[in-house]
Amino acid sequence: MTQMMTIEPATTHATRHATGRPKIEVRNLDFHYGTSRALKDISLSLPERSVTAFIGPSGCGKSTLLRVFNRIYELYPGQKASGEVLLDGVNILDRKQDLNLLRAKIGMVFQKPTPFPMTIYENIAFGVRLYEKLTKAELDGRVEDALRRAALWDEVKDKLDASGLSLSGGQQQRLCIARTVAVKPEVILLDEPASALDPISTAKIEELIEELQADYTIVIVTHNMQQAARVSRQTAFMYLGELIEFADTETIFTSPREKRTQDYITGRFG
Amino acid sequence: MDSQHTVRSFDEDLAHVDRLIREMSELAGAMVASATGSLVGSDNALAQRVIADDKAMDARQRALDESAIALIAKRQPVAQDLRAVVGAIRMAADLERIGDLAKNIAKRVAAVGEGGTPRNLAHSIEAMSKLVLEQIRGAIEAYVARDAGALERLRDRDEDIDIKYTSVFRELLTYMMEDPRNITACTHLLFCAKNLERIGDHVTNIAENAYYVVTGALLPLARPKRDETTPAA
Repeated sequence: MTQMMTIEPATTHATRHATGRPKIEVRNLDFHYGTSRALKDISLSLPERSVTAFIGPSGCGKSTLLRVFNRIYELYPGQKASGEVLLDGVNILDRKQDLNLLRAKIGMVFQKPTPFPMTIYENIAFGVRLYEKLTKAELDGRVEDALRRAALWDEVKDKLDASGLSLSGGQQQRLCIARTVAVKPEVILLDEPASALDPISTAKIEELIEELQADYTIVIVTHNMQQAARVSRQTAFMYLGELIEFADTETIFTSPREKRTQDYITGRFG
Repeated sequence: MDSQHTVRSFDEDLAHVDRLIREMSELAGAMVASATGSLVGSDNALAQRVIADDKAMDARQRALDESAIALIAKRQPVAQDLRAVVGAIRMAADLERIGDLAKNIAKRVAAVGEGGTPRNLAHSIEAMSKLVLEQIRGAIEAYVARDAGALERLRDRDEDIDIKYTSVFRELLTYMMEDPRNITACTHLLFCAKNLERIGDHVTNIAENAYYVVTGALLPLARPKRDETTPAA
């Protein structure tokens, strides 16, 4: 039985510590793509209202781990997770878990912006209507609130009837975040959310992540290590399906304990 | 030794910063040795060389700062690389101060020389200087060898310099009381001894920074302090 990896408080300097209780607890998680074992006995605990980054080279399992959290992998045949993933103490891998309910609680934003081919307003209202019966005024309010949270309101408030596809890449990505936020999730999964964006749009997304963590538990997968260092409070380094090191982000980027972590983040790998 | 970066020019940039630190350390050691030598031997020409060397030291520190800042801007170092660069900037500042203090000693040579340096006192200052030099050389050797244990022990040895300083202080006081004509020379020597003691403190800082670079951990704050010439705070 492996020990659960949890964050140890840094003793030498004040850090922006996540003090929240665990929102997601992963216990002895294994994942298979057919016969290939993509995640090996992963155990870690993600604190509430805090940003956790998963880093590691391609194929290390970081995106796979993210995809387990909303069971999106079940859309594909031959993919299987075993072990436990507890969301507020309830195992989401349980067969009895209602997937629609789960995905309402755990929203996801992908690498490429994926606005629906409909108006900006409808991009957000569409998902909300699936879960809630709101009056027109309530729905208007929800759309505005979501767009404000995604720092997009001021840019689109006069063209809510325009197509979502008419927005720039960075705006489209913020629209996707607004769409995710609108259904009031508890956890937001971000899979390389800024890798297709220019530096200014990237900065806006990062600023947004910083603000959103006051209300949501955020998990971000990124190849950009500086981005992980900037936005997250704790960082998990993964390699070949294993969790190598999980610690406070400041510790990972100043004094990692594992040589493999150090070699990867300093650019000495392979 | 560390494995190499995928981008090899990154290794070259780091090696350049490391080379400058070693050069500054060697220069610092040479300056302290010459400063004490010129003081004990009333050698004005040697003292002038120390004063000139301080300019070379300042220039090297500036070169190191520029290289380190450029490295941070271009490479965004993290972990051991970040510690190495930040550590180098701090160590260079201490080495530059050691150069200043050696220069200060050299500047007093002319003043002390007029009255001649009393033999027994010269001996005490020489002994103190020897301790300081051992520390400077030990610090850089341990840093180059990435030897954390040696750095920790080295920091603790600063206590020996403080004890030596206290004894030199008392000797000089006695000397001044014995014969007021010694007061001018002894006062200058007192400043020289104080400068050597301060150099010891800078070596301690260097050892602490080197320890951080090597291990990623900070040495505990408390360290031996045995300068009994000043009233306890």
